Amino acid sequence: MPDLGVRASVCARGGRKDLTMPGAIMFEFPDLFFTGLFLTVQLSVLGSIGALAAGTLIALFRISPIPPLRWVGVAYVEFFRNTPLLVQLFFLFLGLGALGFRFWTTDTFESIFRAGAAGMALYHGAYVAEVIRGGLLGVDKGQIEAARSLGLSYVQTLRYVQLPQTFRATIPPLGNIGIALIKNTSLASTIGVAELLQAAEIVESRTFRTEEAFGAVVLLYLVLTIPASLGVNWLERRLLVAR
Amino acid sequence: MPIIEFHDVHKWFGPLHVLNGIDLKVDEGEVVVVIGPSGSGKSTLIRTIDRLEPIQRGSLVVDGMPVHDPKADVNALRRRVGMVFQQFNLFPHLTAVENIMLAPRKVKGLNAAASRKRAQELLAKVGIPEKADQLPVRLSGGQQQRVAIARALAMDPKIMLFDEPTSALDAEMIREVLDVMRQLAQEGMTMVVVTHEIGFAREASDRVVFMDAGRIIEDSPTGEFFAGAREERARQFLSKVIHH
Repeated sequence: MPDLGVRASVCARGGRKDLTMPGAIMFEFPDLFFTGLFLTVQLSVLGSIGALAAGTLIALFRISPIPPLRWVGVAYVEFFRNTPLLVQLFFLFLGLGALGFRFWTTDTFESIFRAGAAGMALYHGAYVAEVIRGGLLGVDKGQIEAARSLGLSYVQTLRYVQLPQTFRATIPPLGNIGIALIKNTSLASTIGVAELLQAAEIVESRTFRTEEAFGAVVLLYLVLTIPASLGVNWLERRLLVAR
Repeated sequence: MPIIEFHDVHKWFGPLHVLNGIDLKVDEGEVVVVIGPSGSGKSTLIRTIDRLEPIQRGSLVVDGMPVHDPKADVNALRRRVGMVFQQFNLFPHLTAVENIMLAPRKVKGLNAAASRKRAQELLAKVGIPEKADQLPVRLSGGQQQRVAIARALAMDPKIMLFDEPTSALDAEMIREVLDVMRQLAQEGMTMVVVTHEIGFAREASDRVVFMDAGRIIEDSPTGEFFAGAREERARQFLSKVIHH
């Protein structure tokens, strides 16, 4: 059995009897785990803001009366939705890096981080765009006519009538995307962002306490995602417009 | 000097000739009611005045502005023309007062305090000052339609268009909306009203326009029209709607 070596090492230190409280290991390596957690949070927050901005813009392109904008919107969504996030991250950091583009910074770690955040924003932006587009199309035509008949321009009607209702109505699907984004930040470990998963890998390789190290990561992801879920539910209750 | 002037206006929806050579003049301060069977083009006619429907042939001049001209400033036109819809079309995420304030603030650039004060006055005018901070979903149909009228009036339009404003209302609410419209008519507002409310036409309008199959069949002063419509089709229609 190939994993015999690992098992043997676990047994050598006394096996499961030695296991500490789930997650306790994170307090033994707080630098690694909590720095990693902080980077995961940063990636998630920046990625979400970027995804929301990119997705809203692309959705507006997709419903635009100007055909070239619509083509850009379709191309964006199809490109980023139909290639793996992992491949996009490799391309953003290694591919663009080979072309000399380092996200406006000479610091390698910063450059890696920015590539990771950009990847999160661009990829999830495609999903956000589809959700927002659906929301915009779901606003009753009569309201748009009413707004236009009051003298509001196309852009003002989007800004004050369609978008506010769209954001309220699409909170549940946007929340799903946000939570997926938090989890997908773990892929940024593959290009070298020292986020949670990578922190755990480092701890694991130093200590061989495999299940503890990755168990701690599981717990820390839940610490991020469960409050996020609750937050989405709360927002939904608060803001959903009754019709 | 007419404030609305249709001259030989045509419009097609695909093969359907919905407006077939419309000639119509409305003077400032006049109240014109448009009646006719469904599918006769009444709603389309009124919607062309606000360019919610483009026309394909002919000329349509509203308050000196050539609406048929693709280069006409449609937002400037719409600032001067208020429109009330069958389905009210209030913005569901805004309260009654916010619905009324939106266009004055964003289109006219009024500040929040001034537009709120004006909105409150208009809500008082339509008889529901106490509903200012309610969302539309908390209002009855009649109240919603009165908010919609106040919203249109907030832009101080020179012309008010009503597209079947009571057709989606329960019987007991029709009256409260018609009362507001009657008051507007008495105040001298130029109004074009598509409606099946023959009572309103009889009491509050100056002229009745009867349409059928995309044409204006009869255009008579209200008194004459009800004393005896000249056209057979108009008489038949009247006898149906009055004795239904």
